[in-house]
Amino acid sequence: MPSRIARLPLTLLVLAFALTLGSGCPSKRSPALANARPGEGGADTAGDSASRTRTQPVDEGPDVRAIGGDSASGSDIAGGAAFSGEGGPLVDIHFELDSAALSDEARSTLEKHALWLQGQRRASVTIEGHCDERGTVEYNLALGEQRARATRDYLVSLGVGQDRLRVVSFGKERPLATGGDESSYAQNRRAHFAVGR
Amino acid sequence: MARNHSRFGRSSSRRSELAAALVAVASVALGAATAAPRPQAPAQGPPPDIIIGGMQAPKFAVPDCVPKRPDEASQAACRTITQVLRADLRFENLSFVQDSLMSAIPPLNPQAPKFEDWKGIGANILVVTQAGIEGGELVGDVLVHFVNNGQSMLQRHYSSKPDNPRTIAHAASDDIMTLTQYKGVAKTRIAFVSDRDTTKEKPSKELYIVDYDGFNPRRVTVNGSLNLLPVWRPDGQAIAYVSYRQGSPRLFLAKIFEGQSVANVSGEKGDNQAFSPAFSPDGKSIAFTSNRSGSTDVYVAGADGSSPRRLTTTQANEAAPCFSPTGQEIAFTSDRTGTPQLWLMDADGLNVRRLSVGVGNWNDGCAWNPAKQYSEIAYTARLDAGGFDIAIIDLATRQVRQITQGRGSCEYPSWAPNGRHLVFSCKRNNRWEITIADRDGRSLQTLATGPGSNVQPDWGP
Repeated sequence: MPSRIARLPLTLLVLAFALTLGSGCPSKRSPALANARPGEGGADTAGDSASRTRTQPVDEGPDVRAIGGDSASGSDIAGGAAFSGEGGPLVDIHFELDSAALSDEARSTLEKHALWLQGQRRASVTIEGHCDERGTVEYNLALGEQRARATRDYLVSLGVGQDRLRVVSFGKERPLATGGDESSYAQNRRAHFAVGR
Repeated sequence: MARNHSRFGRSSSRRSELAAALVAVASVALGAATAAPRPQAPAQGPPPDIIIGGMQAPKFAVPDCVPKRPDEASQAACRTITQVLRADLRFENLSFVQDSLMSAIPPLNPQAPKFEDWKGIGANILVVTQAGIEGGELVGDVLVHFVNNGQSMLQRHYSSKPDNPRTIAHAASDDIMTLTQYKGVAKTRIAFVSDRDTTKEKPSKELYIVDYDGFNPRRVTVNGSLNLLPVWRPDGQAIAYVSYRQGSPRLFLAKIFEGQSVANVSGEKGDNQAFSPAFSPDGKSIAFTSNRSGSTDVYVAGADGSSPRRLTTTQANEAAPCFSPTGQEIAFTSDRTGTPQLWLMDADGLNVRRLSVGVGNWNDGCAWNPAKQYSEIAYTARLDAGGFDIAIIDLATRQVRQITQGRGSCEYPSWAPNGRHLVFSCKRNNRWEITIADRDGRSLQTLATGPGSNVQPDWGP
């Protein structure tokens, strides 16, 4: 994938970004993180509870309740911690309808994300591909995967280690906005970044 | 909502002339060739098509069930059996004598029906039911007579738990259907996905099953994760589905009567994802979609996930496979031409050819009619620029008929085991509901399965 910014020395960008951060925000946290809601599941943000990262799959306990009996009562164990909350240090990027192509704006955002990740060597990111509700469940699972993969590939081209990036498609199963209008659809066509470390 | 004998809420699906014109204009605007088949409008009211003993559309009389005992529990069970049996047989498109004529007949003596009375109101077949609580269980007897000669055509004895008269009615309906050219569906169940048990802390979608008439919903998965795309194994003992329990979407197999599930059936590694499970009709193979080779492709494996083989090899997305009734062909969705379209291939991945041509810019999510006498595939289509609808393509003529129109968005069709009805989900008033239609798009009915958004139905055995 061709990249305009890859030609620039990355270190210079890191320096510039660090200066920007230093002038506006004395904490190591980005402004976005400061807005993360505390109390909402904790692990959904990259804050204090980041040790409970959603990139660690959990697979324990019964998955299925026996039909015709209540023998499995009380077995409602939390499943894979795959669900993202909103917020987090890395803002979403957005896509056009039925497209996994990265816009100039999305590339620009990803370049900032790459810089942030250069400064957070221990952070790993699950890139979630999301879609609006139009089209079938299966098609959107494939499309969300393409969006997450295109996002990952661009971050890798910017020097982020692929082993720090995980992709998952949520298709149209986890819309951010639930309305049926174009504004809601546009919000839902996105890649979301769930940061753990 | 009042609980009546059926959980179907009837609603018409008439479309206006304007809508018809818009569809036609949109079809042309979207580049459909002038020779392309135009979707046909759904007609109203199914024609009678049942044949019993050489008789075309015989008229049934199903008088009230006669309690075997006077106690209230027996009477209540009898009332339920009457209601449910009538609803089942009506769903199967049997013909009935008018209710007003039935009420003119003197009370039925179940041991010695006066066939002349029933003949007098035009009944051809009389269904006599008796039920009551005996020895701690509910027992029922069903006798089916030819009215003309009094001959007994069917005699069955049933028993069940006392609180489950619906089971007896469903069993009786299916037995009565053995007299016809069709297999009944009254005992079948539908699996689906709902967010009804989601919480803010644990935003989940779980699998549920429900009787075909919307009663008796039961939750299957309890893991608080995202669980999607259930498909029944043909033996009815297990449901394959997609779960995010391990972080990425993976294939799982729920043995629903044992309360166990097998994780990652297709053996995906890393953050590879798998979805779109579909069993072959003999239950020995499972087709699915995986991105393990870099692009989303269709694979087939043994039902336990063994020996997976890649069937499609393009860099485009191939997904949503479904088997033909013989198991020798697979339909699937590919966007290799730029838009999602239906394609066919042999079950070994060879002989790939495009199926959907000319109608709609989005044709996706196939469901091959399991009845061999109907050579057709239902799918989700965007036939105009707006919403998605359910359509059926005839494989011989390539004629497309539209099952839903103007119901918001509809998707994810699945056939009843006998191929006479379809189930799918439609969005109305910002809520997805399970919806049933017959194969000609008549008698659209919303299934009241319970709260929440209810999607991705799969009609099981």
